[in-house]
Amino acid sequence: MYRTEDVLATLGMVRHYKLDVRTVTMGIDLHSCASPDVATLCDRVRHRLIHYAGRLREVCQEVQGRYGIPIVNRRIAVSPIASVAAGHDAEGLLAVARAMDATAAEVGVDLIGGFTAQVQKGWTESEKRLIEALPEVLSTTQRVCSSVNVGTTAAGINMDAIALLGRILKDTAERTRSHDGFGCAKLVIFGNAPTDNPFMAGAFHGAGEPDCVINIGVSGPGVVKAAVEDLVKSAAVRPTLGEIAEEIKSTAFRVTRVGELIGREVAARLGVAFGIVDLSLAPTPQVGDSVGEILQAMGVERLGAPGSTAALALLNDAVKKGGSFASSSVGGLSGAFVAVSEDAALAAAVACGDLTLAKLEAMTAVCSVGLDMIAVPGDTDPETLAALIADEVAIGVINHKTTAVRVIPVPGKAAGERAVFGGLFGEMDILPIHAAGGSTAFVRHGGRIPAPLSSLRN
Amino acid sequence: MHTYIVTVTAADRVGIVHAVTGAISERGGNIKELSQTVLRGYFTIILAVEFDGPRDPKAIREAVATRGERFDLNVAVLPDEGRHVDPVPGGDKFILTVLGEDKPGNIHRIAGSLSRRGVNIVDLHARTEGPRFSLVMEAFLPPDLKPAELRAELEQFGAELGLEAYVQHEDIFLATNEPRPVRVGSARNPEGSDVVVPH
Repeated sequence: MYRTEDVLATLGMVRHYKLDVRTVTMGIDLHSCASPDVATLCDRVRHRLIHYAGRLREVCQEVQGRYGIPIVNRRIAVSPIASVAAGHDAEGLLAVARAMDATAAEVGVDLIGGFTAQVQKGWTESEKRLIEALPEVLSTTQRVCSSVNVGTTAAGINMDAIALLGRILKDTAERTRSHDGFGCAKLVIFGNAPTDNPFMAGAFHGAGEPDCVINIGVSGPGVVKAAVEDLVKSAAVRPTLGEIAEEIKSTAFRVTRVGELIGREVAARLGVAFGIVDLSLAPTPQVGDSVGEILQAMGVERLGAPGSTAALALLNDAVKKGGSFASSSVGGLSGAFVAVSEDAALAAAVACGDLTLAKLEAMTAVCSVGLDMIAVPGDTDPETLAALIADEVAIGVINHKTTAVRVIPVPGKAAGERAVFGGLFGEMDILPIHAAGGSTAFVRHGGRIPAPLSSLRN
Repeated sequence: MHTYIVTVTAADRVGIVHAVTGAISERGGNIKELSQTVLRGYFTIILAVEFDGPRDPKAIREAVATRGERFDLNVAVLPDEGRHVDPVPGGDKFILTVLGEDKPGNIHRIAGSLSRRGVNIVDLHARTEGPRFSLVMEAFLPPDLKPAELRAELEQFGAELGLEAYVQHEDIFLATNEPRPVRVGSARNPEGSDVVVPH
C-alpha cells in the first residue's frame, strides 16, 4: 500500500502548486526534405511533420488521462531551416516557414521551432538570407519560432551577425507594432545554444539527434516555491540556506520524475526515441507560478536587491542537482528562467524600479537563459540592441554556459510605459537602457570577437 | 498443500502477533502472506497459512484463540478455495484519491460507482480529520475502461457531494516517491499484467 501522505504529496503538487508538463516537444529531422524545388521542399516538410506528429495530440491526451498530470503545450522542433533550405531565396524561405506554420496548425501544436541558423563563427549566404527573412516570417506566421546562435566558447562571437540582428529586431518589432512588437518574442539569440533544447522560442532539432525524438519540458516554480515556503514556515528554527537548497533539490527530483515518466510513455506510444527532460523553472504570468516568488520565499523580498543573484544561483544549482539525480536524461537548459514579462513577481519588481536591466544582466550570469522577455524603448537604436545582445552572449561564451537574449523594442513606447504581449507572454513596464547609444562605434567594427582562452580560467 | 485464510481482530496490545503466529507454527503451518494494521486502537491481521494436509478450520481457530486468550481475540478461519483470484484479468493498477467534505455514505456511493464500472478495489484507506474526508485506494481498472472516462464520472459524482476525485496510474507515485529508475508500464510487474497470481 502506498502511504497516504506520499500520494497526497504528489497529488498536492498538481492540485495546489500548478505542477504540469509544460511542453511535449517532438524533435524532427528535416534534412531529407531538401530539394532545389521550393514546392517539393514544402511538400516534403509537410508530409514528414504529419508522418511523425500526426498522432501527437491524441497520444498526449491519452497519457495526460493516465497520469492525471496536465500537458500544457505540444510543440515541434525541426532541424535548422538554414541548412534544410540552403540555396533558396527569401521567397523560398518564406514558403517553408508558411508550410511549417500551416502544418503545425494541422497537427495541433501551438509552436514550431527551428527557423534557425547557427552562425557563431561565420555565415553562409543561406544563413544570412534566413536572418534577413526573419521580420517577414515572424510577422506573418502564427506559430513559427526562430533562434540564431551567434557565439560559442569554442568559436567566439560573430559581431556581424549580432549587428544585423539589431536591425532585424527593429524591423520585426515595427511590423508587429499593433502587438507591442510581439514578433520579437518568437526570436531567441543564443550564445552556446544547446543541441537538444525543447524550450521555445529557442527550440530546434540539432545535429547528433535521431530522426524523431520526444523531449520534455517540465516546469514547477509553484511547487518549488511552496516547498521553500513550507520549510521556512514550519521549521522551529530558521532554516539555513543549505537546508533550503536541500528542499529545492528533493522537489526538483519529484518534478523531473514526472517529466521523465510522461516523456517515456509518450515516446513509447508513438514508437519514437525519448530524448531529454529539460527541467526548467519557467514562469507563467499566473500568481503562484513565478521564479521571482521563489526568491521572495527565500527571503529576498525586493527582487533586484543585493542578494538576488546569490539566491538565484542557489536555486539554479539545487534544481540541476535534484534533476540530475532523478534522471540520466536531463538536458536542454535545465534551471531557472527569469523571463521578465512572463513572471508576475519579476514584472512587478521592474514596475516599482527595484529590478533594473543591469541587475538582470548580473543575474543571468548564474541562471539558465539570459535577458529573456524584456521590453525596451521602441526608439532604441539597432547598435544599442546589438550591444545588449553582445554583452549577454559574452557572459555565456566566457563562462562556458548558455545565455540568450529575447528582447523586444516596443514601437512607439518609452521607458516606464506598459508593454502587453498577452497570454503566457504576459506584460511589463518597459525598462530603460542606461547610456543607450554609447557603444555604436564598438558594434560597427564588426568581425568576430575571438574565442576565449580555456586555460588560465579565473 | 492446503491453504487457509486466518483473520484476527482485537483491541491492540503488545504480543498479539507473537501469539497468533505461535499457534500456527505449533500446528505445522507456514505463513505465505500476512497483512496487519491498527486502526483507532483496533488490531487486525489477515494471514494466508499453508499446511501439508487438510486441517479442520475450527481446530485452527480454537488454537489461535486459546494461545491468545488474554487478548480476547476474534478469530475466523476459511479454507482458501481460490475465490480470491482476481476477477478482472489484465488491467492496470491506478490510485484513486477522493478528497472533500465528510458526509455519511461517501465510501458506499464511491464504491458503488466503481463497482458498476467493473473496477476492482484491492486496497483502501479512508479517514476524516474534522470536516475533511480523504480516501486513497488502489484499484485495477478493466482494460477497456479509459481512466479519463472514470475520472469524468467520478468528478461529476464528486461535484454533487462536494468531493474532488483523482484517477492516476500508480507509476506516477512510484516515479515521484522512489529513487528506482523510471519505467513505462507497470513497474511492479514488468510483464505488463498486474493480476494477482493465484496460489
